[in-house]
Amino acid sequence: MSLAHESIDRLAAAVGTRRRECIAAPALAEHLDRLHREGLAAFEAQGIPTRRLERWKGTSLAALESMDFVRVGGDVSDPETILAGDADLTFVEGRLHSPGAVRADLPEGVRILSLQEAASEAPELTSSFLGKLSEAKTDGLAALHDALFEDLALVHLSPGTRTGRPLRIRSISTAASGDQPSASFPRLLVVAEAGAEASLLFESGSVGEATGYTGLVTEVFLDRGARVEIVEVQSERQERIHVTQTFAKLARDARFDSHVLSLGDGLSRSELTVRLEESGASTRMRGFFLGRGRAHLDHFTTVDHEAPHTTSDEEYRGVLTDDSRGVFRGRVIIRPGAQKTDARQSNPNLLLSDRAAIDTKPQLEIYTDDVKASHGSTIGQLDADALFFLRARGIGEPEAKLLLTRAFASEIVEGIEEPTIREEVGLAVQKTLALVVAKEEGAQR
Amino acid sequence: MSATPLVSIRNLHATAGGTPILRGLDLELQAGEVHAIMGPNGSGKSTLSNVLVGKPGYEVTDGEVLFRGQNLVEVEPEVRAREGVFLAFQYPVEIPGVANNYFLRSAVNAIREHRGEEELDAIDFLTLLKEKMKLVEMPEDMMSRAINEGFSGGEKKRNEILQMLLLEPTFCILDETDSGLDIDALRVVANGVNQMRSPERAMLVITHYQRLLDHIVPDHVHVLSEGRIVKSGDKSLALELEEKGYGWIEGAEGEGDPS
Repeated sequence: MSLAHESIDRLAAAVGTRRRECIAAPALAEHLDRLHREGLAAFEAQGIPTRRLERWKGTSLAALESMDFVRVGGDVSDPETILAGDADLTFVEGRLHSPGAVRADLPEGVRILSLQEAASEAPELTSSFLGKLSEAKTDGLAALHDALFEDLALVHLSPGTRTGRPLRIRSISTAASGDQPSASFPRLLVVAEAGAEASLLFESGSVGEATGYTGLVTEVFLDRGARVEIVEVQSERQERIHVTQTFAKLARDARFDSHVLSLGDGLSRSELTVRLEESGASTRMRGFFLGRGRAHLDHFTTVDHEAPHTTSDEEYRGVLTDDSRGVFRGRVIIRPGAQKTDARQSNPNLLLSDRAAIDTKPQLEIYTDDVKASHGSTIGQLDADALFFLRARGIGEPEAKLLLTRAFASEIVEGIEEPTIREEVGLAVQKTLALVVAKEEGAQR
Repeated sequence: MSATPLVSIRNLHATAGGTPILRGLDLELQAGEVHAIMGPNGSGKSTLSNVLVGKPGYEVTDGEVLFRGQNLVEVEPEVRAREGVFLAFQYPVEIPGVANNYFLRSAVNAIREHRGEEELDAIDFLTLLKEKMKLVEMPEDMMSRAINEGFSGGEKKRNEILQMLLLEPTFCILDETDSGLDIDALRVVANGVNQMRSPERAMLVITHYQRLLDHIVPDHVHVLSEGRIVKSGDKSLALELEEKGYGWIEGAEGEGDPS
C-alpha cells in the first residue's frame, strides 16, 4: 500500500459527505457510490504506480506516496492563472465555483454543469457516461480519482450544436494551511452527440506555494461526426504533483483534437488515450512542454486504431532547460482489421542546457497489413547557422535564442484551431519562454 | 593615403575549423570605395567574409581588423552588426517559424537602439519596409512568410539586399551574391547595392566572376590566393582575369579559367 491510510480515509470521508449533500438523483448517487467503492478497492489492489511498471519507467511518484493529505477548503476570491479571461466553471481544490452569469450566453443544447446541476438536469446522461472510459480497473491513479473526486464539470452538446465560442474551465490549487499538502481531483466529462462541435480550454495552475497533488481525469465521448478540440494548459508550480489522464472515444467520422501544453515547473504526467472505434474517425494529438528548474514533465500517449480508415497525427515538441527532464512515450496500436489506417507520430526536442535530459520512446504495435505508419523523435540544439544569422543582423544572443525557441513552439500553438484560444495560449507560451530562455542565458553568462 | 581608412585589415591570419586559411592578408578600404576580391576556389574568400563578421568556427590567430579605428576581432557578431558591419550571405539560411517582417523589425530596432535612436513602431516600420522592398522588387506577401522559407535562390539574395537597405551599414560585404542568379535577378540585386553606394560607406564585393562587376563597378580589384592578396589593380584587372584566368599572376595558385 502506498498513501498513508488515515490520509486516504480523511479524503474519502469528505467525498461521502459531499455526495450525500449534493446529490438529489438517487440513481446517480448510487452510481457515484459504486465508482467510489470500486475505485477504492482497485486502488487498494494496485496502489500508486511505481517504476517497476513499464508505463512508469520514466517517472517516479515516490514523493506522492509519502504525502499526508489534508483537505483544504480555502476560499479563493481572486484566483489568478497565467491566462486571462473568465472561465465558465472554476474548480478550486477540486470543488466547482460557478460565476453563473458567464454561462448565460451559451446556445440552446450546449450545457456546462456542475455535479449538483447535473444531478437535477441530466442525471441519467451523467450515469450512463461517467466512469465508462477511464481505466480505473487497471490504473491505480484513475482508480484513486474515481474514489475521491468530489465534483464534476459536465459538458453536454446536443446533436448538431455548436458552442459559438470557446468553453473555458479552470482548476486552481491554493496554498495549504501550514505545511500540510492538499489533494484535488477535478473531473471532466464531455459528451458530444452526433455532429456537435466544440472547442474547450482547460487551464490548471496553482496560487501560492500549494504543495500536494492534482489529479485530473477527463472522459470525452464523440458520437458520429462530432468534432471536439480540447486545449489543456498546465502551469502548476514546483511544489505540486500534477497528473492528468484524458480518455477519448470516437465514433464514425468523429474528430478529436488534443493540445497539451505543459508549462509548469513541478512533476507532471500527462496521459492521453484515444480510441478510434469506428471508420473515418480521426485525431490530432499535439503537445508542447517547456521544462525549467528541476521540472519533470512526462507525456504518455496511446492511440488505438480499432477500425479501418482511421487517422492519427501526433506531434509533441519539447524544450528543456536548466536541470529539467522530459519523458515521452507514444504508443500507436493498429488492431487486426484496421486496414487503411494512417498513423503519424513525431517528437522533436530541443535541449537548451547540457544538464537537461529527454527520454523519448515511440512504440508501434501493428497487427494488420495495408497501413501507413511513421514515427520519429529527434533531440537537438538550436540551429547554429540560424542563431548566427540573427546575431549577424544585430539581434542579441538571448533574443535570437528566444526567437528560435518560440518558432519551434509556434508550430504546435499555431495548430490550435479556435482563434481566441490560439492567441491566448500563444501569449502564455511566449511569456513563459521569455522568462525561461532569458534566465537560461543569464545563468550561462 | 590621405584620410584614415574606414576599414584596415592588417596581417590577418585566420583558421577555419582549425585549418589555416588566411595567411597575412592586408587590405584598406576608404569610405566611399568599392573593392572587389576575386580568386580561385579555396583561396580564402569565404573565410575572409566569415572572419569579418565573427562567425563561430573561424579563429583569428594573428593580425587585426580595424573598423573606424576599433579592432573587431574580439567583438561579438551582434555588436559588429550594430556598429555597421554587414555581410550578405552566400547561402542565406531558412528559418521556419520566424516571420520575415518580425525579424526585420527586431533587427532594425536593435540597431536603432544601439545608435541611440527611438525604436520604430509597427506602422513606421511598415512604411520603411515597403519603400525598401520596391527597390529590390519583392512582393509584399514575402514579408509575412518565414525567413527565406520556400524562397528561390534569387529571392533569398534579394532578401539579403533588402536587409542591407534596411540596416544601412557602413561596411558592406557581399559574399558571392551573384551565385545562382539569373540576369534579371542580378540586375535587381546590383541596383539595390548601387543604391547603397555613398561617400560614407565602403563595400567589399567577393565574387568568382567578372559578370557582377559589370553592374557594380569597383574602384579597386584584388586577387586573393592562398590567404593573401597577391595582386591589386583597377576594374580592368577583373576583365583581365576573366580573359586569362589566375595562372599568370605571380604567387597565385593556378586554377586556370575562373569561369
